[in-house]
Amino acid sequence: MTLRGVGRGGSLEYYLWLFTRLSAILMLFAGAAGIVYANLFGRMLMDAPTQYRWAFFPIYWHVQNSDVPDVFPVWSNAFWRVCCAILVSVAMLHGFNGLRVVADDYLRHPLLQVLARGGLALLYLFVCGAGIVVIFEWF
Amino acid sequence: MLTWVLHRLTGLGVLLFVSVHIVAAFFLNALGDEISTTITRWYESRPVQVVVYFCVLYHAFNGLRVLLEDFYPPLLRYHRELIWLQWAVFVPVFGLPAYFMVTGLLFGGA
Repeated sequence: MTLRGVGRGGSLEYYLWLFTRLSAILMLFAGAAGIVYANLFGRMLMDAPTQYRWAFFPIYWHVQNSDVPDVFPVWSNAFWRVCCAILVSVAMLHGFNGLRVVADDYLRHPLLQVLARGGLALLYLFVCGAGIVVIFEWF
Repeated sequence: MLTWVLHRLTGLGVLLFVSVHIVAAFFLNALGDEISTTITRWYESRPVQVVVYFCVLYHAFNGLRVLLEDFYPPLLRYHRELIWLQWAVFVPVFGLPAYFMVTGLLFGGA
């Protein structure tokens, strides 16, 4: 998990390594900010799934049962939907890149590696697309 | 080694949960079919919520420690102590809500 075998200086592997760290910082701050905000402004004790929703995915119809005031009008605007879409894309890239690293550790054959990477890229695009459709309600 | 294995397993757990959640929400809203409803009920069940909480929290704390060690290498001298500190923070922060989730206070559905 450290810089072992990654090598600095402009390689894609290095930038993905850096991306994993930076997106982790983003998600840690987003999660902490969401939970602190919800618990400061919520009117009732929130159950665990509601706190998860607040931590990561501020879709306005996703968090309305947490009873935090003014969520509905504020978070249904385009700005927060774009923020939410960016957060989902970054989080899923973090996750699928991690899965790619795990797969590379177990797949020795180059052809299998290529197939795994291609499959993961397609899966990433599909999940991201599904998430963005849900966020913008393009049903 | 244990932290490395747990980081992988919990990362895979989070990825599985988030992907299944997004795809199920997509099909639930687009089609409203029986399968997505079943999947949604599964990941909103109590044991899955506790496991997801473990995965998210462990991955977050361990990732934070790795981040700090990577961006500020002098901390690597205190690697073992940091892991103990991480467990000391993790156990109560996971244990208390998990206890309440199991006993039903913090449990909720849809």
